[in-house]
Amino acid sequence: MKTVGLDVGSTTVKAVVVENGEVLWRDYRRHHTRQAEMALEFLGRMEADCGLAPGRDRIFVTGSGGGVLAPMIGAKFVQEVVAVAAAVEKLHPDVRFVSEIGGEDMKTVFFTPTQGGGRQIYASSMRSGAGGTLVGKTTRKLLEISRTKFVPDAEGEPIPPPAPKPDGSSKQVFMQSACSGGTGTFIEKTARKLGIPLEDLAGMRYGGHALHRISSKCGIFAETDANTLVKSGVPVEEIIASLYEAVVYQNLATLTKGNTPAPKVLLLGGPNLFFAGLQEAWRHHLRKVWTERGIALPGSGEPEEHIVVPDDALYYAGLGCVEVGAKDSLGVGVYAGRERLRAWVEEGQHAQKAKEGSRGLAGDAAELESFLRRYARPSGATGKGASASPAVASETIFLGCDFGSTTVKAVVLAGAGELVYSCYALSRGNPIEDAKAVLRDIRAAGYTRIGSLGITGYGKDLLKDIVGADVGVVETVAHATAALHYFPDADVICDVGGCDVKIMLLRQGTVSDFRLNSQCSSGNGAFLQGVAERYAIPLEEYAERAFKARAIPTLAMGCGVFLQSDIVNQQRKGWAAEEIMASLAAVLPLNVWVYAGQLQNLAAAGRKFVLQGGTHRNLAVVKAQVDFIGSKVPNAEIVVHPQPGEAGAIGAALCALDWSRRAEKPSRFRGFDAVEALVHRSTTNEHTTCNWCAVNCRRTFIDVQLSGAKGRSWSKVPVEEGWERVISGNSCPKGLLEDANEMRIVKAQLEEAKRVHPNVAELVREDAFRRARSA
Amino acid sequence: MGFLTALGFEPQKIAFSSDTSEQQGREHAKGRGTVDCCYPVKCISGHYGELVNREKHRQIDILFAPMIRSLPSHLGTHVVASLACPRVMAAPENIKAGFIKERDAFAERGIRYVTPYVSLGDPPIVPKQLFEGLKDAIPGLTPIETREAVRAGFAALAAFDGRARARSREILEHCAATESPCLLVLARPYHMDPGVGHEIEVDLQSYGYPILWAQYLPIDDDLLAWTFGPDVHDGFIRSPLDIADVWPSSYSANTNEILWGAKFAARMPWIACVIRMSSYECGMDQPTYTPVQQIVERSGTLFFSFQDLDSTKPAGSVKIRVETIAHYLEKHAGGIIAKKKAASPPGCPLIHDSASAVPQQPKSKAAPQAA
Repeated sequence: MKTVGLDVGSTTVKAVVVENGEVLWRDYRRHHTRQAEMALEFLGRMEADCGLAPGRDRIFVTGSGGGVLAPMIGAKFVQEVVAVAAAVEKLHPDVRFVSEIGGEDMKTVFFTPTQGGGRQIYASSMRSGAGGTLVGKTTRKLLEISRTKFVPDAEGEPIPPPAPKPDGSSKQVFMQSACSGGTGTFIEKTARKLGIPLEDLAGMRYGGHALHRISSKCGIFAETDANTLVKSGVPVEEIIASLYEAVVYQNLATLTKGNTPAPKVLLLGGPNLFFAGLQEAWRHHLRKVWTERGIALPGSGEPEEHIVVPDDALYYAGLGCVEVGAKDSLGVGVYAGRERLRAWVEEGQHAQKAKEGSRGLAGDAAELESFLRRYARPSGATGKGASASPAVASETIFLGCDFGSTTVKAVVLAGAGELVYSCYALSRGNPIEDAKAVLRDIRAAGYTRIGSLGITGYGKDLLKDIVGADVGVVETVAHATAALHYFPDADVICDVGGCDVKIMLLRQGTVSDFRLNSQCSSGNGAFLQGVAERYAIPLEEYAERAFKARAIPTLAMGCGVFLQSDIVNQQRKGWAAEEIMASLAAVLPLNVWVYAGQLQNLAAAGRKFVLQGGTHRNLAVVKAQVDFIGSKVPNAEIVVHPQPGEAGAIGAALCALDWSRRAEKPSRFRGFDAVEALVHRSTTNEHTTCNWCAVNCRRTFIDVQLSGAKGRSWSKVPVEEGWERVISGNSCPKGLLEDANEMRIVKAQLEEAKRVHPNVAELVREDAFRRARSA
Repeated sequence: MGFLTALGFEPQKIAFSSDTSEQQGREHAKGRGTVDCCYPVKCISGHYGELVNREKHRQIDILFAPMIRSLPSHLGTHVVASLACPRVMAAPENIKAGFIKERDAFAERGIRYVTPYVSLGDPPIVPKQLFEGLKDAIPGLTPIETREAVRAGFAALAAFDGRARARSREILEHCAATESPCLLVLARPYHMDPGVGHEIEVDLQSYGYPILWAQYLPIDDDLLAWTFGPDVHDGFIRSPLDIADVWPSSYSANTNEILWGAKFAARMPWIACVIRMSSYECGMDQPTYTPVQQIVERSGTLFFSFQDLDSTKPAGSVKIRVETIAHYLEKHAGGIIAKKKAASPPGCPLIHDSASAVPQQPKSKAAPQAA
């Protein structure tokens, strides 16, 4: 008789077939959200490869997708932590602490020897923003079932009590769900954004790299941090090392709940197995904790020897299922064959979800057609503009560049402010290279007489002097300028970019208020893009696919992390990629306006709405916006900016045009050749760390070769003449200076500014604490 | 300080943990976390850890962390109650758990953990509470000594409050004299901690704007009469410190002060912009967002809020927002001041004849409970 342990996780399906304690067969595959289909495929192969037989063999399933599938194949569901704990108990009786990092969750399990010689289990698991986060975050419930204590999983999965140990020791399983970062998907997603192939990621190290601060609180904040690091030119190796640092820190800080992870330690799950750097980070931190807390290592040997990553780390939940199953009576979990699962895959899942779903995003054919007639753009309209005609080429033009989080856009305006050319490129993570790329494009298109240059976006401070921009415009102002240029009667501008959401409320043609949300990803384009990427669907096809969905699941508005797990839930119910994508577009306006923008009363904001930002290239989003705004503001007029993605660049160009009208001096632009010839290198190490205050920002020095630059021979990181240094990664103006003399002057200026413009908080702190501290 | 020095502790024997920082948490709070809640409470683990882990020769004997039920507030008798946030109040017990769970980190270092329950908003009962809470830690302590020390403590607090409020008045007078704008921060007191409020207001200060905090606005009679007199006269409120017109459920001391600060800002011409800060998961702040914003915006004052602050400073977005705020302030501050001045009653006590440019020293009115 064979026993199957099937682990249907959030990103992969893993299974083991065991007979007489021997593993006959094992495999893992990514399911690309088709959990049921992949499970069916696994069962088929298990039947074919090792003769898995219905009615004879037994099957136990676990994982986030296991609960739904179990009854269809006769399997018994085993809760994940219980399964992992069972496998660990069997295979590693001496292990005291387990970290299992999965695709979208992370768990820690503590085994404490009890007086009776057995072990107590203290487990804590975090599912990436589980729906249960809302209920489970602050409550830690404890439910005692005979001598075994459990808490139901936040998502309501039943946790069957494991059989009491024959030696009479008690077991405790606590579970806690909370907001989470640092899971496998998160690491991979960031790596993909950085352009690192998965194979390379596996080999990237933790040790030896400068570490940067990456938020360990929430995956989405962490991703933003990583993005900021990219923009300031930090090498990808250091970012990945910093990610590993954040993951381990997250585990130790919040998943240990006051317990000390004691040796021996077991690291499980895909990320822990595959990423050597993550293992290194664990070793580094555990060793530190053990030294600090004076924890004696059992036996001899180096601390590292007590941190084990088994080769079959992926299969522990599966093996644990088999282990739990072995203790069950023989009639439990008898494999029932694939038929019911197949029927579910083909029919049942659609019937169930149809009951739950709401109307598709597209509406009926007539509605979609009228929408597309109004809002669809001729193909190519969002792409490059035409090359300059000879007449235009001789004219003086005005250039605006927007160095955004994911793309770089540039536009060319003619003397009267009309748009003559636009282009955009995906950001390669280095602003100087990005600048070269778009300028090359503009020059190739024949626009060479630059009247003035305005830049905006994340890269503006770094690039302003290097390329010689005339104006550096903050993004919000750039976007408002661009919208008002085309729609002077606009009331509200809604700009949904890759990493932030900006809502600008206008009155009498001036910006009276704005809401900017870049801390929360729920409404932004990066999130849509991330989901599309997970489904391996190009962003350009997003709308087309989303409009195909006839019914869509209802996703909850709110934090992007919650949304992620909500999506996993919906996948589990069988909703397909296009339906999830449509529902994500449908929930976006709620997130943008209500959650991120905090505008409960849209009608009070105005009636003419301008949609801009790259995310509004996506017609599925526009459709959702039109439906949403229309439902809140019955007489609303909703327009999409003619160049939604380039609005920021247009605003910068308009500001540049305005500058040149007033300045009456030549542009500072260095010229195409000079920018093209820019050679740069970046340094981030202990010498670049800012020591001016206790924050010790890990700065990056980006040195750019510029003729006439004085160099910095006196620096700890010297640069020769002909190089200009740009400092990034600092969090206050002090950090822009590395030289002590320069510092004294600037500090004096800052102090003088502070004296002239006091801050009561500073006086209060001084008065309340410093007196005692200096006493 | 006033209380403890009156009990006979020399000032140099009283140590404070340093400002909150992520580094502090990483170094001293690893594995000590017990509650998943707002950062201002969570970060206390780092403060305890820092104090507990001091080097041998600087070892502390007593870790004093009172559980504060209610707070002294200048709005005192004008509101329903002046309670502290229950999470903050319970924090000393919650955070302690992370230090005694496996091994008693206090006992191991011979530190006595003292966490008296105090109702600072109700001064008459404070001596009894502190005596009960401290008598074991301070052998020979008497109720009379405690009462005297509490009196000294409240007096020190009143003096401290008075100094800060006087400074705020000077700033406002300077702004009035130079027709220049200042900013008001509406936040909880812990947002003054650089690790909790992330010094967002300092970034704006560097653009050349003085920063006021709602907790320390001037409350001199002349100014209150000018600011709120018309509302009292028209019967909207019973006194200048009454907030029943905008916030009837006035139970929380800090919330009350934020709401009152919003009203003050709306009426003060030179406060051209209000910066709202609020920490992630703050249930106390949640219901105040809209009323505070509406009060401020209705007066034409710029309003910007930084919500969901957490352990990490979202430096990128703060920078963009600060630049945008600076842009609009530069563009609109003059107009806002002019508009608000036009809407104000005559006879502003902040405006002096150019002859008497010396700022008038306001008498302290703070913490009347201390008397």
